Amino acid sequence: GVAVLPAPQNLTVLSINMKHLLMWNAVAQLRETVLYSVEYQGEYESLYMSHIWIPSSQCSPTKGLECDITDDITATVPYNFRVRAMLGSQTSAWSTLERPFNRNSTVLIPPRMEVTEHGLHLVIKLEDLGPQFEFPVVYWSQEPGAKEHVKVVKSGDSPVHLETMEPGAVYCVKAQALVKAIGRHSAFSQTQCVEMQGEALPLA
Amino acid sequence: RAVPCVSGGLPKPTNISFLSVNMKNVLHWKPPQGLRGVEVTYMVQYFIYGQKKWLSASECTNISRTYCDLSAETSDYEHQYYAKVKAIQETKCSEWVETGRFYPFLETQVGPPEVALTSGEKSISIALTAPEKWKRHPTDDSVPMQQIYSNLRYNVSVYDTKSRRRWSQYITNSTLVLSWLEPSTLYCVHVESFVPGPPRLTLPSQKQCIRTLEDQMSALK
Amino acid sequence: EFRFGPCRVEGVVLSELWEAFSAMKSTVQTQDDITSVRLLKSQVLHNVSDAESCYLVHSLLKFYLNTVFKNYPSKVAKFKISKSFSTLANNFFVIVSKLHPSKDKDMLSISESAHRRFLLFCKAFKQMDTEAALVKAFGEVDILLTWMQNFYHL
Repeated sequence: GVAVLPAPQNLTVLSINMKHLLMWNAVAQLRETVLYSVEYQGEYESLYMSHIWIPSSQCSPTKGLECDITDDITATVPYNFRVRAMLGSQTSAWSTLERPFNRNSTVLIPPRMEVTEHGLHLVIKLEDLGPQFEFPVVYWSQEPGAKEHVKVVKSGDSPVHLETMEPGAVYCVKAQALVKAIGRHSAFSQTQCVEMQGEALPLA
Repeated sequence: RAVPCVSGGLPKPTNISFLSVNMKNVLHWKPPQGLRGVEVTYMVQYFIYGQKKWLSASECTNISRTYCDLSAETSDYEHQYYAKVKAIQETKCSEWVETGRFYPFLETQVGPPEVALTSGEKSISIALTAPEKWKRHPTDDSVPMQQIYSNLRYNVSVYDTKSRRRWSQYITNSTLVLSWLEPSTLYCVHVESFVPGPPRLTLPSQKQCIRTLEDQMSALK
Repeated sequence: EFRFGPCRVEGVVLSELWEAFSAMKSTVQTQDDITSVRLLKSQVLHNVSDAESCYLVHSLLKFYLNTVFKNYPSKVAKFKISKSFSTLANNFFVIVSKLHPSKDKDMLSISESAHRRFLLFCKAFKQMDTEAALVKAFGEVDILLTWMQNFYHL
């Protein structure tokens, strides 16, 4: 079709905790539904075979003004993205992301977590952020001079056993999100403390 | 010696694939369609990728069952293999039907460990025995799958039936002691083997449950 | 991270590569009907010392990027494996860009040993029709990844 339709504008990527969302402005067409098609290429394609563009797995085509490109980005390299509008047989020109997007620029925020005690077991349940994530978990007892312990919890949302604790003591826990694929981690979460059941053991 | 037969005179067997657990590699297939009630036998051959010719599976010539244990023939798990089968009925036979490239090292399912539980007053000891690689003869020495996959780990899942809460933990060694549990409480455990690498089907262990002993203090009262 | 002897490579998630290849394994390997030839023979990849590994992986991945993947696009679209292809190509690209095999003279014998292994692979590749060799090399990425997995530390 002849490129009569204007190309979508203002392509941007919003990326939080390795979830990447490509967004663009609507192409004004009064009553009719405009479809959009998204394509990408990684650094290898852009260097070695720049004519090769790959249709996005989620949005080829889509009615919306955004596209979840998380599954398309599977390497820590810059990715080019382009979007065009389609209306019946009319097709707009491609509009390309101004600057290539690299997943190492994602914003990492601390994971939600729930700390519980099963009898004398300190158990943590962390938000499932996907297979890319690991969670350094720091925990310590509030006894004076107590040492901090660190355990790296793999991803997945099932509760994980941290440690077996002393009865009657109060333990505090904080966690951060770590993504080895981009070599970065988030800030620590809020600290959560729980008191273990039972009386403190008499000093020997 | 195989009796020559007219190829293509029979429909081919279907759904040919390897089912592999702990390097026990068994070829399975389904009988040709439309031959219900007809006496059909099968012949199996296998091929080592990168070598020159198809080899006969000596245990699977003129068999009527629809599976063939090729563990011995495919025991070098760093090689890749193909297998094929054809149906034979008197002087007629089907064309061969072939598997894709089978790579035991990547495709075998790693079975669960054996799990032994013993309980104390407020503790449970979990003893794991690594899954064993397939053996040619029962008298052969056992080879733990950990010897093949040095990065093999176990995912131990514990369920407290009283509080109805579950937790899990990855371990690499073969024993785990859960202490400071609730006395007189039924805990259930199941364990999965996990090998980092390509996606692999997993076989969780049977769920086993054990009750912690009664609290000595309340027993005395 | 990967530790090929002294060479370290971070930022590559091996499970992503495995998932990519698993998604196209049957499609790609079905195209290779010359089953009597194996390019990545055991003489190429068996008993590679840590010191050799950096040289060998650098040569092999550069070959894959510059020869195999570069000449494969015509098949990629046809077989609908663009996404998997892109994942492998871009991650191989990351690994090669982070590998810096030592050029010290005292490493000469080791680099030559690695080069002899690589030449075995190249020789087998060149003895085949180019199209068939491309298809075969692509179908043997699981052999390559299995070897690379030995140097991957979670």
